[in-house]
Amino acid sequence: MKLIKYLTLVAFVGLLISCSASVPPKELSNARQAYHQASMGQAAKLVPAELHKAKTALDAAEQAYKDDPDSYKTKDLAYVADRKSKMAEGLAQSAAEKAATEKANNDFQAAQTEILKDTKEDLAASEKDAMLKAEKLASEKKARLDAEAALAKLAAVKEEERGLVITLSGSVLFASDKSALLPAAQERLNQVAEALLATKERRITIEGHTDSQGSTSYNQQLSLKRADAVRSYIISRGYPSDLVYALGIGEDRPIADNNSVEGRANNRRVEIIINRTGK
Amino acid sequence: MKHIKMAMLAVFVLFALAVAGCGSSPEAINQEASTSAIRAAQEVGASEVPSASLYLQLAKEGLEKAKALAANGNKEQAESMLLRAQADAELAIILSHGDADKTEATAALERVKTLRQDNK
Repeated sequence: MKLIKYLTLVAFVGLLISCSASVPPKELSNARQAYHQASMGQAAKLVPAELHKAKTALDAAEQAYKDDPDSYKTKDLAYVADRKSKMAEGLAQSAAEKAATEKANNDFQAAQTEILKDTKEDLAASEKDAMLKAEKLASEKKARLDAEAALAKLAAVKEEERGLVITLSGSVLFASDKSALLPAAQERLNQVAEALLATKERRITIEGHTDSQGSTSYNQQLSLKRADAVRSYIISRGYPSDLVYALGIGEDRPIADNNSVEGRANNRRVEIIINRTGK
Repeated sequence: MKHIKMAMLAVFVLFALAVAGCGSSPEAINQEASTSAIRAAQEVGASEVPSASLYLQLAKEGLEKAKALAANGNKEQAESMLLRAQADAELAIILSHGDADKTEATAALERVKTLRQDNK
């Protein structure tokens, strides 16, 4: 009986010893897991040399485990192997972050270059636009000046607050007391119309004026008919009809003394006013 | 009989001294590598990075354990412990750098995003 008990005890102790020998120390389990994790990640691609160091360290720990499972040497080697696997993971992560930084910096440069190029193109387009506008303005100004110069040769031209005023003598355009244009007047008006067409977008007001002889109402009607006659002729030469207006002023705005022959002749006139500020 | 007893006593004393001597005289160990690694980890600011500061602390503790083992005459075990401490310190350095690299990458990506948004 005693012998049986003794043998049972020995067998039990032997079993315990053999079980503990087959369970690796936690340092080695951790090291194996750490290496597995590192090898499944970016380390194999980005830092293969570091991963290899980790593998070498793990192999050394495994060998120590085979030689002496419970020794401090096995545990320490496994501990170091665990750290080396973690180092490989950390270095791989750093390499990935550095690659991301480099790409981001390259993208930044490319975006800046693109923006600069677009800005330059926009600037060039704006400059070209501005240049074209300036050229157009200069051309328009020249046309206007040329027109004014041409008009100055045909009639009295004066710059007033209401615009550029072209004064045509009534006796040149109409027979006395008539509102039909004289043939000679048409030729003069052709030349005026040609000059006006150079500034075709401007509003024009045609005013008929008379001297003070005759009734006010008669002079009013006569001056309006004469202004209309000139308006119709200007339109017939191509000026836009919605930009030409006719007014009969009558005797209300004399520019000379109606008591003299010369004064009355000057008052009998047609004024063509070109609005300088547009339509 | 008496001299035999005396001889046995002398042998015993000598044996006891020898045994005591084997386990207790301090051993010199080469701490340079682990000490340098710990210093380097401190210099790169490992204590400021949570993941790195843990391993820095472990490295310091490992170094102290190694010194204690060496003081007790366990040279081989002390040197093995120094390898632990060195590995912990090196890992702390790598994790510190990794944190800085991550911060830099985040900032670079944000810069690109802001530039694109501002120029849409």
